[in-house]
Amino acid sequence: MRVPGPPRARVLWPALVLGLGGAFAFSMWAGALRLPWSEVLWILAGGPAASPTHGAIVMRVRLPRALLAALVGASLGSAGGAFQALLRNPLADPYILGVSGGAALGAVAALSLGATSALAVPAAAFAGAVASMGFVYVVARAHRGSPHTLILAGVMVGSFCSALLLFLLWAAPADPARAAVFWLAGDLSGADPGWLPAAAAWASVAFAGLWAQSAALDLLTQGEDVAADLGLDVGRARLLLLACGGGLVAASVALAGLVGFVGLVVPHAVRALWGPAHRRLLPASAALGAAFLLVADGVSRTVLAPAEVPVGVITALVGAPFFLYLLRQREGRP
Amino acid sequence: MIRVEGLRFGFGAQEVLRGLAFEVRQGEVLGVLGPNGSGKSTLLKLLRGALVPGSGRVLLDGRPVHRYSRRALARWIAVVPQAMAVPFPFTVWETVAMGRFAHRRALSGPTRADRAAVERALAWTDALHLAGRAVTELSGGELQRVFLARALAQEAPVLLLDEVTSHLDIRHRLQVAELLARLNREEGRTVVHVTHDFDLAAEISHRLLLLGPLGEPEALGPPREVLRPERLHRAFGISVRVEPDPLTGGPRVFPVLRGPQPLQLDLDVHVVCGGGSGGEILRRLVLSGARVSAGPLNRGDTDAELCRVLGVRVVLERPFSPVGERALSEAGPLMRGADALVVGPVPWGPGNVRILEAVEQALEAGRPVFLVDPRPERDFSGHRAWEVLRRLEGLGACRVADARELVEALSGVSAG
Repeated sequence: MRVPGPPRARVLWPALVLGLGGAFAFSMWAGALRLPWSEVLWILAGGPAASPTHGAIVMRVRLPRALLAALVGASLGSAGGAFQALLRNPLADPYILGVSGGAALGAVAALSLGATSALAVPAAAFAGAVASMGFVYVVARAHRGSPHTLILAGVMVGSFCSALLLFLLWAAPADPARAAVFWLAGDLSGADPGWLPAAAAWASVAFAGLWAQSAALDLLTQGEDVAADLGLDVGRARLLLLACGGGLVAASVALAGLVGFVGLVVPHAVRALWGPAHRRLLPASAALGAAFLLVADGVSRTVLAPAEVPVGVITALVGAPFFLYLLRQREGRP
Repeated sequence: MIRVEGLRFGFGAQEVLRGLAFEVRQGEVLGVLGPNGSGKSTLLKLLRGALVPGSGRVLLDGRPVHRYSRRALARWIAVVPQAMAVPFPFTVWETVAMGRFAHRRALSGPTRADRAAVERALAWTDALHLAGRAVTELSGGELQRVFLARALAQEAPVLLLDEVTSHLDIRHRLQVAELLARLNREEGRTVVHVTHDFDLAAEISHRLLLLGPLGEPEALGPPREVLRPERLHRAFGISVRVEPDPLTGGPRVFPVLRGPQPLQLDLDVHVVCGGGSGGEILRRLVLSGARVSAGPLNRGDTDAELCRVLGVRVVLERPFSPVGERALSEAGPLMRGADALVVGPVPWGPGNVRILEAVEQALEAGRPVFLVDPRPERDFSGHRAWEVLRRLEGLGACRVADARELVEALSGVSAG
């Protein structure tokens, strides 16, 4: 018999390639300075620019920015898909395990301590994210590490961190506090393009780790007992998945702050369109997450140009209503 | 194949299993029965290595089961869990294909053998037509069959099932029972299934393990030895009747319903009946706890048949024959030894009227006698029976209208 595939499987990859390409083009075109399409493509293709300014804008400003947005969007999308399966909750968020709290605390601590080096804030955010996730994992493991305890421990660590965060913001002088707010909202303007290669390598390894565990993720959605009965070493798989997913989230938080809703909405939409099998869902979520953040970033740079709105504001403004729409769809099902 | 030795397990101070020891032989179907809280689920968890025994051992093929890697164990034992909602909309095919996890190499897609196993499992469980449906859209029964198919796709020699038939309608329950029997017979698979369905367990199991309410082993053996009223009473605290199935001869368990507040009669009661006149009387007396005897009755008489089913002691006469000396002398001690005698609304004829005379003797010896709805229309003995009945009433026999009134009247009689 023909193996029944997910609905619309045949259009999955063409749709994603087209969407990603379109989003990339939009991001390259969007900005305070309107360059014609033809010129943007010409410069990207390596042709000599009409003016050095235009060449610099495309190659040194917009291209790294677009790559950064794509990288962060892909990381959040795929990590969100993995966490939703790991926590057996299709509405879970990659920040649910206390990552956001820890990262924010690290970043704001660095800012309010008057960090001067450009590397200090992302490094502190990364350290904070990894530390809080590690703490959540150790606490939850004492109680067999079920999804339940992981979520509860994550929420508690998050609350604790945000209390400390509020205290820091209250105590900080005005300038670092404003920078911190920008960072908390999610912002792609702060990252140094020089970090891109390292971040891309890091994210690729973490993503490959997740993807290799696709079958384990499928099994974990059935419950931990069932997954174990089907032959999965649940503890080991969970640790691996938390490490890889956490690595992706921590990296994106370090690069762009707390960009919300990508990790929640994107995998959810992919699942609704192409089914929950993770061999497809993880790469599709990465591609769709990248496309989503490319478009959101383009909008954030043009909507109030020449001012820039934090990209997290855009993703939340689009993501929250879309999420409510998805919820309504779910309600409609038996 | 699976050996359980001195198995004890508790959660904290609460001991759930107390000293189980048994063996599941290769190619055997073992049914596990027991009341809620008797540790059936815990036992299953220990068998599939999800819990480590407090003391004692669970050996699979000679090695402690929790020492196996999950992957190796999944190739030995396939578990069918109780159906519960799945939050992710995998298709039925994808769900059943998860059963192949332990056979697949990392990163490789499904092989031809994987596909064949999935397809076979879907066909076995009558779920092929569901293959493309999302599991989130299935009914409880359909989902249960999908989980069964997933376990079958695992192609493990041992199947553990946890109350899998409780969600199924009668057709699919029978199908699953037949499937398990077939898997066992044709492929030699070993099956351990926890169930609340006595009849199904008796039908397909070679042996049954009955657990008591405190997790102690109550009985282990062939179904007809385990499914005994006294054992089921100790395990479940219920009264049951067990009868051989008319077709297969296997034991059938019928729970006995009691009224809201049954009268408790601690009496020996002898009933004279026949031709169906004793039905209601015998049933009510047995339900109220009285020790009942009856007769003489002709072999094959409706009432004689009922007595056998109810476990009532009965004096028998040859079929369609008048009641003779031998039967009467056998019934005499029962009548005189009873705390009360009951005469049902029997049609009297020359063949049985002599019983009434025996009743009269017992009444004269001081036994209380109750006449249920005596009427002259039922006298076909040429007034002989009616005369005796009138005489009995004159001597103090008590007339009651029906079986219900009889039981109330009997509650006034004290045991002697």
